[in-house]
Amino acid sequence: MKLETKGITYSIDGKLIIDGIDISVKEGEFVGVVGPNGCGKSTLLKNIYKVYTPDSGAAYIDGEEIFKMSNKKTAKKMSVMQQENLVDFDMTVYDMAMLGRFAHQKMFSGDSDEDREIVLEYLKEVGLEGYEKRHFLSLSGGEKQRTLLARALSQKAPLIILDEPTNHLDIGYQYQIMNILKRQKLTMLCCVHDLNIAATYCDRIILMKKREVFKIGTPREMLTSENIKELFHIDTQIVENEKTGSINIIFLPEL
Amino acid sequence: MKKFKKHFLPLESNGAYLFFIFIMIAALIVSIAVSIVLGSVDIKFGDVIGFLANKISGRRVVVPTWDDSIESIIWDIRTPRVLTAFIVGAGLTLCGIVMQALTKNTLADPYVLGISQGASSGAVFMIMYGSMFFYGQYGTVLGAFIGAVISIVIALQIAKIRNKVTATQLILAGIAVAAMFGALTNIMIYLQRTGSDKVKTAQYWMMGSLSGSTWERLVYVAIVFVVCFIVIYAIRKMLDAMLLGDDVALTLGVNTGRLKLIMILVTTLLTGAIVSISGVIGFVGLTIPHITRSVVGSKHTRLIPAATLVGGTFLVLADVISRVIISPEELPIGVVSAFFGAPFFLYLIRKSRMGGKG
Repeated sequence: MKLETKGITYSIDGKLIIDGIDISVKEGEFVGVVGPNGCGKSTLLKNIYKVYTPDSGAAYIDGEEIFKMSNKKTAKKMSVMQQENLVDFDMTVYDMAMLGRFAHQKMFSGDSDEDREIVLEYLKEVGLEGYEKRHFLSLSGGEKQRTLLARALSQKAPLIILDEPTNHLDIGYQYQIMNILKRQKLTMLCCVHDLNIAATYCDRIILMKKREVFKIGTPREMLTSENIKELFHIDTQIVENEKTGSINIIFLPEL
Repeated sequence: MKKFKKHFLPLESNGAYLFFIFIMIAALIVSIAVSIVLGSVDIKFGDVIGFLANKISGRRVVVPTWDDSIESIIWDIRTPRVLTAFIVGAGLTLCGIVMQALTKNTLADPYVLGISQGASSGAVFMIMYGSMFFYGQYGTVLGAFIGAVISIVIALQIAKIRNKVTATQLILAGIAVAAMFGALTNIMIYLQRTGSDKVKTAQYWMMGSLSGSTWERLVYVAIVFVVCFIVIYAIRKMLDAMLLGDDVALTLGVNTGRLKLIMILVTTLLTGAIVSISGVIGFVGLTIPHITRSVVGSKHTRLIPAATLVGGTFLVLADVISRVIISPEELPIGVVSAFFGAPFFLYLIRKSRMGGKG
């Protein structure tokens, strides 16, 4: 499973948001997209998961153009976890996760035993065993986000796109969700805000700046004081974290 | 009550759900029986059973003790009327469910969005001016359908800001569309009709009535209803996904473009067919799905059959009330449904303003 984009360009109301983006994600790789607000990272992901249609360029899964696939076929190859939408309607955690099985079901058939097993397995995986009958709107932010993660995983797609999945969550939940994701051995493309999370979990990092790809490389190559200064205008000190074996970024704001 | 609701509703187990469906079927049968018995001419309950037994079996199971005029009242007037009431109530409820999934908003329904008024304008136009093109009923339904399509397109376009439909925008758009088509309907009626007839016709189209129900009209609405019900039940899982937003539905594998087209088509077709036989009856599509959701949950596999039964039964009962409350005169059924629905609408607006959640 390989994801590739070739020259994706997208504008809203004549204003260019991203310009000619070429990226690729190899099988089993965890790639993070990092950049300041408004650099176009979320727009790039939305062009990949079909919410936006690129003005030019396209995204490909294993060489097949995503926009030419049916939504059902896309859903079997690629699942998406977004920030939680505000919804007016309530449903149980189980029903919410079961929606992840939609692409695998026939129009008039109900949920199969296999569907049920998969959903229960992933609810357990994200630590929501026993929450099946709870109502989604009554959950805390972290529980909601984990429900959405269980839904995305239940889709059983080899590629998962994470569009700022841990925004608004406290630090404990952020690491918890990233740990669950890392365990899955899936191909992942993820928008990340927290540089320390990017340093800990990503195999490669794509830095974006002003509508374009700035640089691509390993966390150690990308998360340098110079690059961070360039993108975020803040001084940092990079240190080794002996426990995780990855680097940590210490911010040095002028006080 | 709050505590009761927290512990027991919505009904979780399938057994409890089936029990609720069973109760609703029983309530529907009782309502239908009451509706046939009550009215300006008193009919004995035993006679109704005896007559229907003979009629349906095609034999003389029960020896008639009633006269022929009673037979005519039961079979030609009250039976088609009560079945029409059921289909109108159930159909408006289905429209409400689909429109709520389309707009992701619990306040959407054919009346609030002005779709019913659009359909009624289309129907009136065909009756007044369309006789040269189309014959009778089919022309009326076609006109109502076209009116519904025009009004839903206008309402949704106005209510949409950056692809999101907010409650305030939805209600404002609905008021404008309803006022526009309401005025149009009245102009056409007042230009064409004279004397007390025009007041009566206007009232029929603006406030709704089931007094014109016949077997002939019932049959074509029943066909439209059954077809739309099957389509809506077939897309039930996609409707679940749509509640979470178009983006989410798309990533789950729903063909959202095609689905929205189907949703708009079934709601306009159903609204058109219903309005063409009953005029504008408000708030059914708003209140019934909401109440049923609180009992059986939001999942459409459960909601669609349950709400259909609740909506149908509600309108059968509303029709009984409209006939007996100022007997021997008849109150327009839209007055009865508004009497229950409008306060509920206010409650929902208040709720959506406070929490943004339903």
